[in-house]
Amino acid sequence: MSEWMSYYKNEEDEEEEEYPEEVETGGEYKYAGRDSLIFLVDASKDMFEYYDDDEWTPFDMTIQCIRSVYTNKIISSDRDLLSVVFYGTEKHKNSVDFKHVYVLQELDNPGAKRVLELDKYKGDQGKVLFRESFGHNADYSLGEALWACCNLFSDVQLKMSHKRIMLFTNEDNPHGHDSTKAKLARTKAADLRETGIFLDLMHLKKPGGFDISLFYRDIINTAEDEDLGVHTDASSKLEDLMKKVRAKETKKRALVRLNFHLGKDLSLTVGVYSLVQKAFKPSPVKLYRETNEPVKTKTRTFNRETGSLLLPSDTKKAQTYGNRQIVLEKEEVEEVKRFDSPGLVLIGFKPLVMLKQHHYIKPSQFIYPEESFISGSTTLFNALLTKCLDKEVMALCRYTRCRNTPPRFVALVPQEEELDEQKVQTAPPGFHLIFLPYADDKRKIDFTEKVPANDEQVDKMKEIIQKLRFKYRNDSFENPVLQQHFRNLEALALDLIEPEQAEDLTQPKVEAMNHRLGDLVEQFKQLVYPPDYNPEGKAMKRKQGEGAGQTEKKPRMEVSKDELRSHVQKGTLGKFTVPVLKEACRVYGLKGGGKKQELLDALTEYFSKF
Amino acid sequence: CAIVLCMDVGFAMSNSAPGEESPFEQAKKLMTMFVQRQVFAESKDEVSVVLFGTDGTENTLASGDQYQNITVQRHLMLPDFDLLEDIQNAIQPGSEQADFLDALVVCMDLLQKETVGKKYEKRHIEVFTDLSSPFSEDQLEIIIANLKKTGISLQFFLPFPVDDEEGSGDTGDGQHSDMYRNSFPRKGLTEQQKEGICMVRKLMFALEEEGGLDEIYTFRESLERLSMFKKIERKPMPWPCQLTIGSNLSIRIVAYKSLMEEKLKKSWTLVDAKTLKKEDVQKETVYCLNDDDETEVPKDDLVQGFRYGSDIVPFSKVDEEQMKYKTEAKCFSVLGFSRSSQVHHYMGNQVLKVFAAKDDEAAAVALSALIHALDELDVVAIVRYAYDRRSNPQVGVAFPCIKDAYECLIYVQLPYMEDLRQYMFSSLKNNKKYTPTEDQLSAVDSLIDSMSLIYEDDDGETTEDIFKTSKIPNPQFQRLYQCLQYKAFHPDKPLPSIEQHLLEMLETPQEVRERCQAPLEKIKALFPLKVAGKKKEQKTAQDIFKDNINPAENFCVLVRQKNANFKEVSQQLVNRIEQFLETKGLQYYMKSINCIRVFREEAIKLSEVQCFNDFLQALKEKVEDKTLADFWEILIQDGISLITKDEAKGSSVTSDEAKKVLLLHSYLSI
Repeated sequence: MSEWMSYYKNEEDEEEEEYPEEVETGGEYKYAGRDSLIFLVDASKDMFEYYDDDEWTPFDMTIQCIRSVYTNKIISSDRDLLSVVFYGTEKHKNSVDFKHVYVLQELDNPGAKRVLELDKYKGDQGKVLFRESFGHNADYSLGEALWACCNLFSDVQLKMSHKRIMLFTNEDNPHGHDSTKAKLARTKAADLRETGIFLDLMHLKKPGGFDISLFYRDIINTAEDEDLGVHTDASSKLEDLMKKVRAKETKKRALVRLNFHLGKDLSLTVGVYSLVQKAFKPSPVKLYRETNEPVKTKTRTFNRETGSLLLPSDTKKAQTYGNRQIVLEKEEVEEVKRFDSPGLVLIGFKPLVMLKQHHYIKPSQFIYPEESFISGSTTLFNALLTKCLDKEVMALCRYTRCRNTPPRFVALVPQEEELDEQKVQTAPPGFHLIFLPYADDKRKIDFTEKVPANDEQVDKMKEIIQKLRFKYRNDSFENPVLQQHFRNLEALALDLIEPEQAEDLTQPKVEAMNHRLGDLVEQFKQLVYPPDYNPEGKAMKRKQGEGAGQTEKKPRMEVSKDELRSHVQKGTLGKFTVPVLKEACRVYGLKGGGKKQELLDALTEYFSKF
Repeated sequence: CAIVLCMDVGFAMSNSAPGEESPFEQAKKLMTMFVQRQVFAESKDEVSVVLFGTDGTENTLASGDQYQNITVQRHLMLPDFDLLEDIQNAIQPGSEQADFLDALVVCMDLLQKETVGKKYEKRHIEVFTDLSSPFSEDQLEIIIANLKKTGISLQFFLPFPVDDEEGSGDTGDGQHSDMYRNSFPRKGLTEQQKEGICMVRKLMFALEEEGGLDEIYTFRESLERLSMFKKIERKPMPWPCQLTIGSNLSIRIVAYKSLMEEKLKKSWTLVDAKTLKKEDVQKETVYCLNDDDETEVPKDDLVQGFRYGSDIVPFSKVDEEQMKYKTEAKCFSVLGFSRSSQVHHYMGNQVLKVFAAKDDEAAAVALSALIHALDELDVVAIVRYAYDRRSNPQVGVAFPCIKDAYECLIYVQLPYMEDLRQYMFSSLKNNKKYTPTEDQLSAVDSLIDSMSLIYEDDDGETTEDIFKTSKIPNPQFQRLYQCLQYKAFHPDKPLPSIEQHLLEMLETPQEVRERCQAPLEKIKALFPLKVAGKKKEQKTAQDIFKDNINPAENFCVLVRQKNANFKEVSQQLVNRIEQFLETKGLQYYMKSINCIRVFREEAIKLSEVQCFNDFLQALKEKVEDKTLADFWEILIQDGISLITKDEAKGSSVTSDEAKKVLLLHSYLSI
């Protein structure tokens, strides 16, 4: 057991180990400032109408979407700033007293209270409350609403790295009869662009379709590397809207930018990204019991004898083997890990089919060209990507992430860009960087001898499988541990009596499964399990013949002489498994040895003679 | 394990072609690396060394003219630094020759005698020889019978390959690559060596069950693929459980970890640089409030809390434990089945192989049905996996793996929704600026062809991977071992450089490197690539102070940095102070005074007294010009003055002078 146990200990250790790394990248990010995002929501009456037989109104969808961004941010990046602004309201609240613009929440960290406040405006009750609290008025000016958003950004004292406004509306021509207002909106939008504020349109369904060309084409801006989403269709489903919002909600950041060396003096630059990264439960904060204020932790290293503080240069690092202590300078400990300077070095190419699905040691990364260091990188990268896709090959590279990380081999697996029906990107163009194992990472295992099932048994299992099919998506499952943790915190933060129970999506829906399977399970069991067999029973010993002292495994599949002969003639004998071949050799009294080829040779020889 | 390293030191071992290392040196290197791995991985295997071809004789079987020139250099014991030192210094080429079969008998005898009464899982002999010495076949049958009886396994390491003409009988799992074999033409072998090869083949064939010819390696391939030493292996630990589909169908399974990144086992400890003792380094952690005095708080007065967005929620360990998610029990439960193409990203850090429980034919058939059904439908199982009730549950994928020898499910964790980063990247397709021309594409095409790592036979049917990364040992271990050994013997010298063969195994194979030169040149000519500027510009002090709300803190950080220029950095602070004073108001006065106080403290600590005193005098003049008397008053009340000679060596100011200098003229005139 020790090893399995130690793995779990390791995992915890690694969590801790990985923290500094997180902080490292996070550190850079902290330094760069915070991401800020304003949800600017159209609150005119049309937003509150049901269309066709939709489950939600556009406004409901919007609120749920915002709420989900809030709760995600609390988990993933609680330092980011968020704000919610309505326009088209009767009442107003903003720093410059524009009419019909209501700042519900200023730019601030997301917190429990804000989430609850949003919840109030959900559903039909929310609709009523909204009307009572803010009212509706179509006489708004979008330009002023944008202006108010601008002010929200400038009122923030913190340094912001990325500013974005997401505009939710189902009105495609808000100022069709008022050219002054339309002009102001355009001017203001241009101002935003100049000051580096991104404006995205999250357009929602309206009867007759949303026509971007009427008004919004000139309003929304797109960054150089974000030329997507402009031509997307209006979202009529919550799921679609979520996808669009999620794609924009986090600013992408490269883990590192480095050179990709194709040859000695031929390189291009790429950015390396993490498209998946384990979300951990945040580490606890230490608080002073009396006031609940966070305390600072200071660690001092000092000499036991003299009590004087030790500077980093006053210590060295050591390992002990047997009785011998080996001492290295701290820099040397780092230097030992240094092989290459950071970068990707091309080794060669292999067909994609040679990538072993099960050769996995850690989450993959993703590379995309970077024009700003070596210009021309993108074109070369694009040519490589195109050709790798054409020829179905992957590039094998040696990857050194930082100065003092030992190299690892990686496979660069090409990925073609994919868009969904709404033209939202579902797979970006670029290469996945798959970490390949070294010989040390593989372990020999003690496998169980196979006893192949027959066709009838396999077919029955196929029926079972067909009953339980679903479309897996990589965002299908929430982490129940994290969800529970944050719900607990939410309950404590809001003095709720009991935390909301998160649905544990990782639990099998046993009853539904049983229902769907019906009799199939019994039928399958009858085909594979002996009548008295109980798979739940402990250490069931297989019944053995009494005479033979030796355990004799008899393969289930016995092959007839004619069948064997025909396979020998066709040269397809190799499709049989070793136990089957062994058994055949035994039957014909052939000595074949343990290797498949030897068994095949023996049988081939035998059948060509007779 | 008990292992005998049996090395030929006969005179022929020192012969080598010009420019090449002698078999003797190569064998020594190989043994060093092997023992290094044993020592530094703290293996419990015991190692003994037997030399043959030595000038002297030292073994228990020796009598008359029997078993001459064979020396037991080291008896069976845990490998240590002495052994490493011995291999480096004590093993020297001999001037004799000895029968390698005799040496084998000595090794077997040693293994038998020295393992009596102790329990060893495996006993093993590794022979390093060039097969140049004459041998006598008389005892071959006895040797074979004995090896079989005792279960002692055997590996041969030779300077040349033995199986040029014939297939190696490689199993699907292939132990070694043909590339290496092919690169060793069997030229210039003596008749004696050819006979030796026949003998080795005969011997290994007879022992075939232990792997036959697969256990004969060349020195060079072994140097590059040290993983061939099959002795350092972890014992796989079975994880028994039941695979469930709904609540009525369970299959007894057992899972093993099959892949996991191997990490260094030993961590570094901090020692005092002078005494080299770790006890002399003590660490102490204190907690303090975020107030001006940094009031220390006892550890017992701390509680735990968590951030929830902008809120910090006190949440004791006990409460957390009670309210947290609880995994009910270990499980491997199917949630459903999905097309295999739906799975894009893996998560976690390991791969499990899932087999039917041992000795349970019913389970084996049931699992086999699942494996083949998945394979034929091209679907995967989505599974909830929990190692035990104390661990967090995972959602993962189980897909089929069908091999000649076995079949199993392979399990890998999948990401949770929270683990995903949905980034968008601009399309590369429709952007004219970045669309490559036909010429450019065909240049890349030929580069890909020229750098193929696949060796294809003439018939085009059999292909072979000539760069199997999963056979390459992680170079960081060998490098660390090399450095540790070197430092153990030469503590005061700098680290040695990386061994060449270690670097070579990480490089593109020579033949490929030659082949791709022309296509690379073509690409260079066709793709304009220009370095656009420096990669990373160092942030200047000015950048840091800009937009910053806490200049005092930044100042402290900046002046402590290596190569910091105190004058430059303090000038930034001074600019900031002046900005503050432009905006009159108590709040800004307080900020300025805080900055000045910090400036003063740092100046004393870093002996930059003059810098501060000059500043303060200059500031006084400015204050008089700008009617900031109220600010100045606060400053004086706060006890800020010039740095006196009592405070720092670099000052010549007495405390009286310090006070007087700061009085404003306006006051004096009153």
